[in-house]
Amino acid sequence: MTARGTPSRFLQSVLHNGVGRYVCQLKRISLIFSKKGQGSLGVRDFIEEGVVDFAKNNPGTVVYISPQSCRIPKIVAEYLNGNVKEETVTNKTSQEIVELITKLSNQSGLDIIRIRKPFHTDSPSIQGQWHPFTNRPPSIDPVGPQAK
Amino acid sequence: MKYGTTFSFCWSGGSKLLLYHYSHIEVKLTKCLFKMSSFSRSAQQWATFARSWFLIDARMQPPGKIASMCSVRLQGKHKPIYHPMSDIGDHVVVMNTRHIAFSGNKWEQKVYSSHTGYPGSFKQLTAAQMHKKDPTAIIKLAVYGMLPKNLTRRTMMQRLHLFTDDVLPEDILENLTEELPQPREIPRKLSEYTQEECDAFPMLWTPPEDYRMK
Repeated sequence: MTARGTPSRFLQSVLHNGVGRYVCQLKRISLIFSKKGQGSLGVRDFIEEGVVDFAKNNPGTVVYISPQSCRIPKIVAEYLNGNVKEETVTNKTSQEIVELITKLSNQSGLDIIRIRKPFHTDSPSIQGQWHPFTNRPPSIDPVGPQAK
Repeated sequence: MKYGTTFSFCWSGGSKLLLYHYSHIEVKLTKCLFKMSSFSRSAQQWATFARSWFLIDARMQPPGKIASMCSVRLQGKHKPIYHPMSDIGDHVVVMNTRHIAFSGNKWEQKVYSSHTGYPGSFKQLTAAQMHKKDPTAIIKLAVYGMLPKNLTRRTMMQRLHLFTDDVLPEDILENLTEELPQPREIPRKLSEYTQEECDAFPMLWTPPEDYRMK
C-alpha cells in the first residue's frame, strides 16, 4: 500500500537504550518444533549444536525449547516492550536459523514499519529555537499612528 | 549544553496601556520572563510560527520600495524558518497610501492597462488617474506584481491591509507589533529649515549691494 495507508513511526530507542548501559531487548525466545517431523530438521540440528552457545552469549535472554507435535516449527521471540514476533522455520538449515536468531536478538521490540525520518534528537536546538522576537526586541512604545 | 534565551525587560507604569497594542499571541511571547527553552514542544512551535503584524507609513515614500518591503514580509522571507510551502508570512498594514510619492514624471508617464477580454474594453489609466480613482490601488498592484506568481499570492494579498490615511481601525491597532522604518529619507522643505540653519549655509558668492534678485 502507500506510505499514508500503512502505519509509520519515528526513529526511537526503547528508553534511551545504549546511552547508559545496553540492555538486550530480547526477553524470551521459544523454539517450538516436533521431534520427528522433517520440517524441524534444521531446528533439531540447531538445538544440538548452537542453542547452548547462543544462550551463553545472551545471558539476559531466556531460551525455551518445547518439542510438541506440530506440523510447522516456529521461533517465538518476545521483547521487553511486549511485542511478540513469530517466525516459521520449516525446512531451514541450522545456519539459517543461527542467522535468524542473531537477527532477532539484535532487534529492539519496536514495530518494523516505515520510519518517517532516519534521525532523531531530544535536543533539536542548542542556542534556542528562533521565534519572532529573537533578534528584534519588541518595541516598548505603542505602535501606531497615535505614537507620532 | 542548552543555551536558553532569557527574556526580561521592565515594564513602565503604563504596562496595561502597552499590552493593549499587541496581538494576543505576542503578548504572551513578550511577557515571558522565564527561559524560552523551558517551553513545552507545542508552546515552542506556537512561538516560532506566530504571525506578526507590521506597520509601514507610506507618506512621501516611493510605492515600489514600500511594495518590496511588504512583499518580503508577506512571503515570510525575513524569517530564518522560511519555506515557500509553509505559509509563514506576516500581516502588513500600510497607512497613508494617499500620500505616496512617485519619483520623476511617473504620475503622468506610468500607465496601468487592463483588458477584460471583451472587444473595446482596453483601458489605460495614468498613475495620477488611477490614484484619484482608488488611492490604495497603486500599492496594491505593486505588491501583487512582486509576490510569487502562484496560488499562495492571493492569501498573501489578503494579509496586506491598506489604508488611505492614518486612521486605523481598533482591532488592527491592537494587533500591531512593530513599525518598520521608512525606506526613503524625506527631504525637508525650505520652510522647515530654521533661520539659523539658512544663515549658516555657505554662500557661493556675495552679491553687491545694488544687485536685484529676480
